[in-house]
Amino acid sequence: MDILFSPQLLAAALITGVLYALISLGLNLIYGTMRLLNVAHGDLVMIGSYIAFMAFSLFNVGPLISMFGAAIICGGLGWLAYRSVFQNLLSNSEILARLEENSLLLFFGISVVVQNLVILFFTADRQGYEYLSAIVEIGDVRLTGARLAVLIVGSVVSIAAVLYLRFSLFGLAINALIQNRDASAIVGINVDRVQMFSLVIGFGITGLAGALISVLEPITPVMGFPYTMSAFVVIILGGLGNLWGGFLAGLLLGFLEIYGVAVTGPEWRSVLVYGIFIGILIFRPQGLLGRGRVAR
Amino acid sequence: MNNSLRLIGTAAVIVILASLSGLASEYMLGIGFTLFMYIALAQSWIILSGMTGYISLGHVVFFGSGAYVFVLLWGLVPVWLGVAISGLVVGIGALMIGYPVLRVRGPYFVILSFGLAELVKNLVLINEARMYMSLRPVFGAPPLAQLYIAMLVLAVVATALTYWIRRSRFGAGLRSIREDEWAAETIGVPASRLKLIAFALSGLIPAMVGAIFIMRSGIFQPGDAFNPIVSFTIVTMAIIGGSDDAAGPLLGVAFLVILQELLWANWPEIYMIILGVLLIGFVLFAPGGILGWCSKNLSRSKKNAA
Repeated sequence: MDILFSPQLLAAALITGVLYALISLGLNLIYGTMRLLNVAHGDLVMIGSYIAFMAFSLFNVGPLISMFGAAIICGGLGWLAYRSVFQNLLSNSEILARLEENSLLLFFGISVVVQNLVILFFTADRQGYEYLSAIVEIGDVRLTGARLAVLIVGSVVSIAAVLYLRFSLFGLAINALIQNRDASAIVGINVDRVQMFSLVIGFGITGLAGALISVLEPITPVMGFPYTMSAFVVIILGGLGNLWGGFLAGLLLGFLEIYGVAVTGPEWRSVLVYGIFIGILIFRPQGLLGRGRVAR
Repeated sequence: MNNSLRLIGTAAVIVILASLSGLASEYMLGIGFTLFMYIALAQSWIILSGMTGYISLGHVVFFGSGAYVFVLLWGLVPVWLGVAISGLVVGIGALMIGYPVLRVRGPYFVILSFGLAELVKNLVLINEARMYMSLRPVFGAPPLAQLYIAMLVLAVVATALTYWIRRSRFGAGLRSIREDEWAAETIGVPASRLKLIAFALSGLIPAMVGAIFIMRSGIFQPGDAFNPIVSFTIVTMAIIGGSDDAAGPLLGVAFLVILQELLWANWPEIYMIILGVLLIGFVLFAPGGILGWCSKNLSRSKKNAA
């Protein structure tokens, strides 16, 4: 039981939690503003990881720099996706009637295509690289430099993003859209523009998180799916469209997962995440902080 | 008149397909086996997801659980009794978990169904690891010709069941749930009970299919038996076929099984990419599937002619 009180475990939980918070922030933006169920979200993590990996192995550029490239490229993919598909989709009444189901199937198709394209180009093998692997000691905690960097960058970016979305004018517009799409159009918010930027920012943040993750674990074309699941757990836990709740829920899931595995054993990891997920959906679909019913 | 002709024609096709078991080559029987397997799976999927709109992205959970129950019973009971028992056990299991699961609606149900399949897969994996069984061979299974017939029977039963439900009062209730569950409940449709029955029926046949499939593959591995690709293939087949009618999935299944046969062994990635592109294309451009697209365009051309 000693291990449960070690600062080492606390650091591990914080790192996982911050990454979950970051990834689910992107998902929350996309779901909140457009009601798109992006089940390909984890694949953006994967793309971000591969970008960082390529940048390191081809140009010897570290992930702390290439993460901006990953964010820009993934954001660009978001722009492309919005202009080519979702802009039309969101104005098609036949599809809009069952938007959540349709977008889920659509993103599912995209996910399958993307994963298999990456397998064709990079093979299905695990890949990875060494970066800042020297141990840093802070008090009792021993971390590799890379993990410390992930913790710092992840916290800064996610807190900055939450604050920006809460206090800037543009963030207010996004919040308005999350609360009521039609009403925001009436008060003069450019819905089309806000939707596009939500997708761009959501994809971009997730790509950045992917670049950070590439230093922590080996990357594979199918690494994304567990992150998709975790991100859904987080946004349902924190309340759909509730950005601040999602941030706290991300941290909470990180703690639940790391401490749960420490108590039970690594083979229970997936059971834990899926178990929490199913439990929440069945018993508290409005989320832990949520008020009232889930918007349908 | 027309109906009885159709019935006789269908019966003739089934008899011909059954008699092929003694004539066709092992390879052709294998393709037929896969074809019937996916027909049975897709039709079962339609009973729940096509009719009620509760889209299941984890139907492999029934398939895998059926296979697992069957493998645990292997050698203890006669083969076909084992198949029936695995169907029953999974059907009863579906009744038990169905109530809480089906309270979750819309897109959340879709994600939940997938999560549930993964949860069961991981629990089976842990259980097998505890028993030091990474894989279980199934020795002395019946020959392929018999398995082919058994799968044909399941495909016919599943298709007939879907056809019958679609035209019954039960099916009308299920479809009213899909159109508007609140409204359906308001006018007195016992939505929870109907959904639960559909859920159990929808799991019964896939469980037996899983049991028979394990005899064909000769080995049980949790990772294969609960492979999410099976769920995805079922969904894509049903969506490509379109409509909640029994004829829809037949088209989608035939198309994808041929594609799978051509590509799976050598280019699995290409197969998956085509699957994904088809899914995207149908959702965007032909949400009614092949059947829906045909009827829409045919009626349009009729209108133009008139």
